[in-house]
Amino acid sequence: MDFANSTQLFGLEHVYWQLPLVAYPFLSGLVAGSFIVGSLSHVFGLKRFEPLAKMAIIVTLAFLIGAALAPLAEAWQRERFWELITRDHFPYSPLGMFIIVWIAYVILVLVEMYFLFRQDNIYLAQHGRGWRKTWHGLLTFGSRNLSEPSLKRDHTILVCLAAAGIVLAFAFHGYVGFVFGALKARPLWSSPMMPVIFLISAIVSGIAAMITVYTLIQGGLGEKPVDSDILDGLMGLMKWAIFVDLFLDLIELLTSGVRSYASLPVYRGFSAIFFSSGPLAFNYWVVQIGLLIVVLVMTFVRPLRRSLAGSNIAAFLALVSVFAMRYNTVIGAELQPKASQGLVRYTPTWFGMDSWQVVIGLFAIVVFLVSLSLLLLPWERSWTASWSNEGAAVPVLPGAAAGHAAGPKKGGTS
Amino acid sequence: MATKNSDLDPGGLSRRAILKGLMGVAAGAAMPLAAHAALQSGPPARKAGTGLPPETQPEPSLDPRKNPSWEGWNNPRLGPTNGWSDASESAAWTTILNPDGLAIYHDRFYRIPESHPKHHWVMVMDTRKCVGCQACVVSCKSENNVPLGVYRTWVDVYQTGDTVPDPEGDVVLDGRRYRMDAKVVNMPKICNHCAHPPCVEVCPVKATFKRQDGIVMVDPRLCIGCGTCVNACPYDARFINPVSQVADKCTFCVERVDAGLLPACVTSCVGRARVFGDILDPNSEVSHLLARYPHSVRHPEFGTDPQVFYIGESGDISTDPDPNVQHMVFTYTSNANSNVPGGVDVI
Ligand code: SF4
Ligand code: SF4
Repeated sequence: MDFANSTQLFGLEHVYWQLPLVAYPFLSGLVAGSFIVGSLSHVFGLKRFEPLAKMAIIVTLAFLIGAALAPLAEAWQRERFWELITRDHFPYSPLGMFIIVWIAYVILVLVEMYFLFRQDNIYLAQHGRGWRKTWHGLLTFGSRNLSEPSLKRDHTILVCLAAAGIVLAFAFHGYVGFVFGALKARPLWSSPMMPVIFLISAIVSGIAAMITVYTLIQGGLGEKPVDSDILDGLMGLMKWAIFVDLFLDLIELLTSGVRSYASLPVYRGFSAIFFSSGPLAFNYWVVQIGLLIVVLVMTFVRPLRRSLAGSNIAAFLALVSVFAMRYNTVIGAELQPKASQGLVRYTPTWFGMDSWQVVIGLFAIVVFLVSLSLLLLPWERSWTASWSNEGAAVPVLPGAAAGHAAGPKKGGTS
Repeated sequence: MATKNSDLDPGGLSRRAILKGLMGVAAGAAMPLAAHAALQSGPPARKAGTGLPPETQPEPSLDPRKNPSWEGWNNPRLGPTNGWSDASESAAWTTILNPDGLAIYHDRFYRIPESHPKHHWVMVMDTRKCVGCQACVVSCKSENNVPLGVYRTWVDVYQTGDTVPDPEGDVVLDGRRYRMDAKVVNMPKICNHCAHPPCVEVCPVKATFKRQDGIVMVDPRLCIGCGTCVNACPYDARFINPVSQVADKCTFCVERVDAGLLPACVTSCVGRARVFGDILDPNSEVSHLLARYPHSVRHPEFGTDPQVFYIGESGDISTDPDPNVQHMVFTYTSNANSNVPGGVDVI
């Protein structure tokens, strides 16, 4: 029935994967990216990013849920979603594989959240006010152990989880790339580079998202002001990610846009779609490549890097550029006809099935989940204090006086 | 035609349609649309079979996008009284898709020849005999209730070459003579029922399968409509059916084949260009044709090993994407700027 909303005729050479499938790699890219940023402090011992750990894991979970909803929004019989688990075509179907990696990832993130928030939850379960006492009591799963060895154990577990999580993040997003890369019918998708290209731009967008979320949450709700060292650090990371991303773009351009190097179907599709008069030329050269170069330049300017506005504008531009990259990859390849000539016509719609409305809705769900977690989880130590009976003072956790930041972490990090 | 459709509409609102309508409302995305559809489909199925349209019935549209109940799965002629209730629908599909309980395969298709199948159905397109009359397209639509806009088979007509000036030519234009130095190519296109179908392997829920006798099908009870297989087919042979909203494709008219009949397109082919048969039987017509004449398949480079063979096309039979090389005189492609020579800079 939703077909009536489509501006496009149904028939041969129809673009079946539309905007929700563009949002799908974008959202899962943010998952992978933000998870990797969140793990920096645990796995790579980058102490500077310690404050991002909790935020990153919550944002990761929210994007993870959004990322699974996106392909479902595209499926016409989405009420049969349970078949993805009961009849999973593992391991032959890339999308079937995705479900397995997704479930593993959700479990890992939930376990990691448990250990990240354990100290605060125990404190709140003992000292919280009203319903919080019960809620955080539930979240501790009955554990009340805050002794030094148990905190040490927590930390070891977190490091292991984060390391396993990075592997999963790569697998997760690599697999999203493979969902497209495995379809040999589309010359522009069928490339071994696909998982790598997707992964690197995922990291770019993940870092950019962390800059934005960090500014919003810390600037709007946190006790401490936004730390420009963290912004600086994230921008520095983004610089390297963009370098690699642009390098991969260059390789892609060389292997698909140069007639002598590329196979004929790839060259025909690429040049017709992305060169001079092609339908996605602007989107490719200006939005995808152009904005990325602008951001790259911005990451070199120290005052911009450290300023709130500068880094956030850079982050926003990077997000736009990565979204354009997803659009060019997903929609672009589908503009090349399989059994006909010329190029397939496609204009995204604003309302109805497969429209911007769906994409905005998906992001609204993610924002909602993040906001919900603001209410339900202590993102910051200071919130723990304000939610507890004792009020004002920063809670002195039994056995871990202010140990969160420094104490037990020293052991396993480096 | 229009009045006939309105006869068919009253019972068109099956349980699934109601569910979808409600979901549409809940999503807030299709409110006017759901209302429209509800209006068009009328009261629920208990009125099915009366055949009388309500007085207020608006003229149904022939556009499937505006009239999703058009001649499709919501067809009230297949109502409960015809043994097509929700309860028996599942059993009916089993009968249609695999009455003899043949083994089905979702991956590792090399096991099929190893399993010593009794039949292996293939089609031969003898394009020397195809006149481009499109009768097969019509009979397929009618046999399989294929909604407007989508096709299980179609016949593209190309023209290569050009009209060239020739003092002896028989075409006179503005006092000058021309000769048609062109060749017309009719290409009946259909699902190739590939021996290694990528469309089957990528399905995340094992909804589409290859039967032991080679026929590739979709089980509409299982398909989630994700579109992966549609994108994975290099021949554009699959589509999402706008009425049933699941993946759909040519089935070689499986219900006819299982009953010992030929596919609808084969029976209606005026020139006997389409030949269907069992390639495992050395005396079948397809075996004879393939033994006698050189043949080719569409896009062999994809490695899908198509099982629909073309006789009478020399060399490459895949469509050249450049309209200046191969002019599409007739095509069913509505979404591409196909038959516009020079309309797009392809090379
Ligand atoms: S032609 Fe397409 S739909 Fe048919 S079996 Fe081959 S890949 Fe699948
Ligand atoms: S559209 Fe249906 S048959 Fe095709 S891959 Fe998706 S679930 Fe499988």
